[in-house]
Amino acid sequence: MLNYTLDFGPVIEGLPDLLRGCVGTLSLAFAGMVIALVIGIGGVVLRGSPIRPVRWLVIAFVELIRNTPFLVQIYFVFFALPLIGIRLSPTPTAIIALGLNGGAYAIEIIRGGVQAINKGQIEAGFALGLHKRDVFRYIVLRPALRAVYPSLTGQFIMLMLTTSIASAIAAYELTSVAKLIENASFRSFEVYGTITLLYLLLSWLMMQVFNLIGRRYFSYPVK
Amino acid sequence: MGPAEYLFLLSGLKWTLALSAVGFVGGGIAGLLVALCRSSGRRWLERTAAGYIGLFQGTPLLMQLFVVYYGLSLVGIDLDAWSAVAIGFTLHASAYLGEIWRGSIEAVPKGQSEAARALGIKYRSRMIDVVLPQAFRISLPATIGFLVQLIKGTSLASIVGFTELARAGNIVSNQIFKPLLVFGIVGLFYFMICWPLSLYGSWLEKRLAGPAR
Amino acid sequence: MTNAILTSRRTLLLGAATALAAPALLTRPAYAITPDEIKKRGKIIIGIQGDNPPWGFVNSAGKQEGIDADIGELFGKELGVPVQFMALEVANRIPALTAGRVDVLFATMAMLPDRAKAVQFSKPYVANQIVLLAPKTVDIKTNADMAKFTISVARGAAQDTEVTRNAPSGTNILRMDGDAASIQAVVSGQAQAIGGNIFYIRRLEDAKPGVFEQKLTFTSIYNGACTRLGERELNAAINTFIDKIKANGELAKITRKWMNAEQPPMPEKLDNIPFTVG
Repeated sequence: MLNYTLDFGPVIEGLPDLLRGCVGTLSLAFAGMVIALVIGIGGVVLRGSPIRPVRWLVIAFVELIRNTPFLVQIYFVFFALPLIGIRLSPTPTAIIALGLNGGAYAIEIIRGGVQAINKGQIEAGFALGLHKRDVFRYIVLRPALRAVYPSLTGQFIMLMLTTSIASAIAAYELTSVAKLIENASFRSFEVYGTITLLYLLLSWLMMQVFNLIGRRYFSYPVK
Repeated sequence: MGPAEYLFLLSGLKWTLALSAVGFVGGGIAGLLVALCRSSGRRWLERTAAGYIGLFQGTPLLMQLFVVYYGLSLVGIDLDAWSAVAIGFTLHASAYLGEIWRGSIEAVPKGQSEAARALGIKYRSRMIDVVLPQAFRISLPATIGFLVQLIKGTSLASIVGFTELARAGNIVSNQIFKPLLVFGIVGLFYFMICWPLSLYGSWLEKRLAGPAR
Repeated sequence: MTNAILTSRRTLLLGAATALAAPALLTRPAYAITPDEIKKRGKIIIGIQGDNPPWGFVNSAGKQEGIDADIGELFGKELGVPVQFMALEVANRIPALTAGRVDVLFATMAMLPDRAKAVQFSKPYVANQIVLLAPKTVDIKTNADMAKFTISVARGAAQDTEVTRNAPSGTNILRMDGDAASIQAVVSGQAQAIGGNIFYIRRLEDAKPGVFEQKLTFTSIYNGACTRLGERELNAAINTFIDKIKANGELAKITRKWMNAEQPPMPEKLDNIPFTVG
């Protein structure tokens, strides 16, 4: 006479908390993206430095981050760094870990775009008397970002999905909130199934926003 | 950190590799099916495959594991943690590999399949003998790239309680309380497996792009 | 090489549609098992904790040990079947039982009224105390003092309930994925105090000798075995078994071995927590 019936009651009751958790997820993702973009552009610049140790440092950073799991990275920042005096609470930990992780991928993606820039364009820029900084900004960076925009935004959406791993250190985001509801109600499948759909919604939302931004900034015609 | 702890980490590493292998091979077989459906030309097949791919690419791997782990029991399939995560990773890999291979199938010049069709070669033979071998070559860098992601992804199995390398690291760190050392070594183990694969993939990518220059 | 895969809008929407269709495929299976069925199956699957000494933990050789393991082995012997232990995370214990992954829980399950709504408890077999521990340098003398600090607990465990209940609202409580993670948090300094059971002090001593002490005592709780609601025969079998090992001294032997102290007598009843199937 015993059966397991699906009961979405606790999920529906917890919907306000879950939506707040979504905001938490988006905040972490956004902060992480900003840091990642800064690291990405900065990293590409440093990667082209004439000083060999600087180049190698960037390469080492990228390879290290891209070949180790995010979970281990975030455990390291949260549990291990306090031993050398750097103690950050869950949310800053998550943001920094996300920023570093996203940054490593951003460096590679943007670098691909930068390398594809026709050298003739750069030479033309200098010939026209443009400053080195302006050449970089308008002739190299902007077309490169436009070229890699789909890859970069795709990577950023994955960054948002990666925030769920931050629940392992109890950072404030959707999966952490879901775990609390699951604990109180024992309705694991209903809770996690629902937030899976919420993540799908967030992915879709982010894509719409990125498409809008892309149309606004990058819709000049390319030769 | 003594030999017993290292051995425990290595046993976790063994499970990481096993889980990655099962996920990659199982996901590869299923992924091929997904890729073929996705590029079949039949609209309902393509749409179903697209929905399947979209589901796995638009949601976190952690959630996919949770849903499979808790959901399988509901439909009466009682599996231990290993089987549940193995299935979870297989499904995850099938969606991503399906999308990668769909892209490479479509990247094979259309003239190839047109010529094959003109010669009267049927779908099965056309795929197996003409399209897929070329698609496979094109897909190698991205496929290897995904394998690296999969190996890293197995660390999430630790959250459902499966003892692979990341969880072994957690357990050891709890016993000897040296998180810097332990997580450093765990990271190093992952790095030693993933980096060579990443380098190989990059090398392949350069080689394949070479003739195009 | 990148792994950025951008899905089109349509693919995401199709993904949502697929996901929504999935629950429709679910059946409503009945999970109930009796001692006879367990004997016929040839083994009993016992849910237990894997990282909570001395209750349930997996030693470095991969073998399940602890108070719950010894009691579980005895119960298997009582039924005449070998035992298969399934180590579960704290938050996973009840879901694993209700979903049918395990037959019974001997998993340090504190008998709490909320849990009694989801599972059937047996008679209590061992007592535990939920306490607050912190470094000697941390000044916590009353419940109100907790507000000044970050407190780590294992999410969903009895200590989570106790700290949440006793700490002033607004206290920063770090709910980690399990006992081990919560201990790592307080040892690394991410939290300044930790809620746990009385055996935590041993683990904290191993980590940082001489640093920690017990600050507050919250409550005594009792652990019971758990079965699914409605499983009359299995619940009765466990209760009979617990009476038996109390009477013949086996239970006292086990608790003395692991806890080095005598146990108080078990209560005859607990409010809102039935010991038998009503």
